[in-house]
Amino acid sequence: MSILANKDTRAVIIGGIAGVNAARRMAQFDFLINRSLTVQAFVYPPEEGQQKEIYRGGELNNVTVYSSLAKALEENPQINTALIYIGASRAYQSAKEALDAKGIKLVTMITEGVPEKDAKRLRKYAIEKGKIFNGPSSIGIMSAGECRLGVIGGEFKNLKLCNLYRPGSFGVITKSGGLSNEAMWLCAQNGNGITSAVAIGGDSYPGTDFVTYLNMFENDPETKAVVIIGEVGGTLEEEAAEWFGKEIRRIKLIASIGGTCQDVLPQGMKFGHAGAKEGKKGLGSARSKINALREAGAVVPETFGGLSKAIKQVYEELLKSGVIKPEAELDEALLPALPPSVQEVMKQGDVIVEPLIRTTISDDRGEEPRYVGYAASELCEKGYGIEDVIGLLWNKKLPSREESEIIKRIIMISADHGPAVSGAFGSIIAACAGIDLPQAVSAGMTMIGPRFGGAVTNAGKYFKYGVKEYPNDIPGFLNWMKQNVGPVPGIGHRVKSVKNPDKRVKYLVEYVTKQTTLHTPCLDYALQVEKITTAKKDNLILNVDGTIGCVLVDLDFPEYSFNGFFVLARTIGMIGHWIDQNNQNSRLIRLYDYLINYAVKEEREVPEKK
Amino acid sequence: MAKILEGPAMKLFNKWGIPVPNYVVIMDPDRLAQLGEANKWLRESKLVVKAHEAIGGRFKLGLVKLGLNLDEAYEAAKEMIGREIGTSVVHQVIVAEMLDHDEEYYLSIAGNRDGSELLLSNKGGVDIEENWDTVKRLFIPLDETPTLETITEAALEAGFTGEIAERVAKIASRLILCFEDEDAQSIEINPLVIRKSDMRFAALDAVMNVDWDARFRHADWDFKPVSEIGRSYTEAEQQIMDIDARIKGSVKLVEVPGGDIALLTAGGGASVFYSDAVVARGGCIANYAEYSGDPPDWAVEALTETICRLPNIKHIIVGGAIANFTDVKATFSGIINGFRESKSKGFLENVQIWVRRGGPNENQGLAAMKKLQEEGFDIHVYDRSMPMTDIVDLALNS
Repeated sequence: MSILANKDTRAVIIGGIAGVNAARRMAQFDFLINRSLTVQAFVYPPEEGQQKEIYRGGELNNVTVYSSLAKALEENPQINTALIYIGASRAYQSAKEALDAKGIKLVTMITEGVPEKDAKRLRKYAIEKGKIFNGPSSIGIMSAGECRLGVIGGEFKNLKLCNLYRPGSFGVITKSGGLSNEAMWLCAQNGNGITSAVAIGGDSYPGTDFVTYLNMFENDPETKAVVIIGEVGGTLEEEAAEWFGKEIRRIKLIASIGGTCQDVLPQGMKFGHAGAKEGKKGLGSARSKINALREAGAVVPETFGGLSKAIKQVYEELLKSGVIKPEAELDEALLPALPPSVQEVMKQGDVIVEPLIRTTISDDRGEEPRYVGYAASELCEKGYGIEDVIGLLWNKKLPSREESEIIKRIIMISADHGPAVSGAFGSIIAACAGIDLPQAVSAGMTMIGPRFGGAVTNAGKYFKYGVKEYPNDIPGFLNWMKQNVGPVPGIGHRVKSVKNPDKRVKYLVEYVTKQTTLHTPCLDYALQVEKITTAKKDNLILNVDGTIGCVLVDLDFPEYSFNGFFVLARTIGMIGHWIDQNNQNSRLIRLYDYLINYAVKEEREVPEKK
Repeated sequence: MAKILEGPAMKLFNKWGIPVPNYVVIMDPDRLAQLGEANKWLRESKLVVKAHEAIGGRFKLGLVKLGLNLDEAYEAAKEMIGREIGTSVVHQVIVAEMLDHDEEYYLSIAGNRDGSELLLSNKGGVDIEENWDTVKRLFIPLDETPTLETITEAALEAGFTGEIAERVAKIASRLILCFEDEDAQSIEINPLVIRKSDMRFAALDAVMNVDWDARFRHADWDFKPVSEIGRSYTEAEQQIMDIDARIKGSVKLVEVPGGDIALLTAGGGASVFYSDAVVARGGCIANYAEYSGDPPDWAVEALTETICRLPNIKHIIVGGAIANFTDVKATFSGIINGFRESKSKGFLENVQIWVRRGGPNENQGLAAMKKLQEEGFDIHVYDRSMPMTDIVDLALNS
């Protein structure tokens, strides 16, 4: 048996992430004792309609978040308990709604920092309604073997250590949350564990008091003794003493009261819970509480350390008198173990998981990213540049100094080509339409393809083929291309020609061939091809795509990476255009009518739909 | 609980129609001269100058000066501002009109579980303690407002008569309004004075506590509460409070000068039991400290370093109950870092450290703590099987 919470308890949690975390802890307890899920719904308007994943052991449950308590109860009429986790400024309203709900009998408020007046009003309201309002600042309620409300009891291992999987004979009532757990442990270690434990919270005006629960424990036949942990401030402990002393009680009472130290501390120095403060003329002092409880017949050790012995003593007396029947120890091995997560099992090496993806270039699991094993900061320190990072991430090699210089130049000469070309123009139109940077740059990026900038890969690929298959037979290569591919990628330009050469091509070819020692078979081959094609037609020159493609072949980059150089380089330009348009606060643009040939039908009537 | 200074309390009284004397709060004596030019009452009335700080026993410390003219008030303010009292410094003084009066009354209200209680006496002033038996009490149930007739009746029972009883009742009704609407926990007016010639009333001194947790619904609360510990906060306490205000969970520190047992304890309930255990054994605590609600490790580290710097400590009690959700491993890693850092700075010489804790990841946390022995720390580590406060006995018996 138990008080407040039992196997029939079904809860709604009002609040955000803290509530969800509590629900997960509660589900661990549900799993331990093999009961159905305690938390049936969440109420948290900002996350309305979401479902929270709650594991009961290995079983995944999706618990719905509602925008209001009324909706949650409409769909889950079995709910009879509410846990309030929502922030202090909204806690009052939430708790009041819960107290108003017909099916809800118990409202426990976990929220801390709730105004005193709100707590006082809720207490009064609950009494009028004949319901229990527990808290604020409560850690929750635990009924061993039956129900856990809140994170009371701590981690899974502790639930077992404190025998919370089956009922014992001790009730626990504390103001402090941490000490509720300690008290449950003491009852398990020195006795046979608990029936129920309630944390009423350490605020000045908690919604309930020791007497409320002492009465419940007195009426719970399984509870034979109650441990209360109180502290200086208020009169709840004195009231408990009065209750206990008033008539002969079935239960034994053990108590520990904190705050005796305040007798010797400098005057006015108070600390601990909000409610832990002495009133005028020593009212509510720890000492007066201890005396009152002792006079009423409770066992009150001088310090908290004496609690173990007191519990043990009471337990042994109850055993001796036959009130408590000794119970066979449960073999802990029979209790379920919490299913570990995949990560935990993998760490222990007990499972093989086939990876979903494989990477060979980078790893950020350590203190900093590593590119093919090299720490990014160390590359910086040793004078490497962006060209070398490209070499590592695209080709898994650190380029030589000469190679880096070539890569750098390829990027530099390709970075932008004015606003008129498809890519830049696309980004500009997007920027003028108020589109954000990544999307506007993507708009320009989508232009890169067979007609615009996308020829680098194919140029490199086919010249490389020519070098290999038609080393000394350029007409044969051109013939093969004509039959199998079409125009040679990398050859030809719309405006540039032999007489009007592309300055960038000229520079890059000269730089690579004259200022570096790079072996350039592919570039040399392409230049030979150019001699033949330009003889046929003036503008069939080796263009910038072709040149870059060949140089990249000679640099030994994988051929499918070649377009990447254009993409990377132009990204710089497109970002520049986006920034430029934004700086100018450009307006939305549309094409002028005179730039469009409206080759459309005359205006006409829409026929009736058949 | 948040005590507020007289200035902000007077401002709230004004807001709710409780008569207050004219007053100004200043930080610079020269400002008083300027205010004197603008305000007739400063030039023509007798004045009282009080240090506007959370310092107990101001009268004895010479921080209250009565019956001054403007020039004398200027001198008094000049003398007070900048004075150091223990750990406190006087930054502000309140200069108020010292109303010539005929009688002093007592009026207060304080919350209790079921509502509040109004206290009335016509024997106010410094003698109120002696006349405590004459105080008339009126219980006000939660969310109920007593009628003016009820309050007047109480005033009559308290010994007020005729028009004065009616006027006192009127002021008391406004006090109740102020108490309810400002989320006050207690307000004490002593004395409430009367000048019978023109039936002028004024609350000459006020002590007011407001519920700081309710500040979210008081946009006009432009004040900060003063120290709750009977003196102003030390630099270290202020530093920990600043951290506390920023984090999830909490860290708290109160220094207790003269003690030699430092506390680095977890949980609002358990930490008090640790203080009790030290006191019960005849020891003296050097501080009160508490961390809870799974605070970040860096916050616990800062708290640890502050505690390691306390003068003349012999023991540090790293105690706590079995935590519900505070991660022992994570919070202990903050404490361990704090210990290491302090040791490297020369602290923790001849200091013994006593540890007892349970909770999430307790095994890893305790093992890491125990490893500090290898680094030369005098540290004794116990798990949940050690009764919670028994490490205090071990420390004091060592």
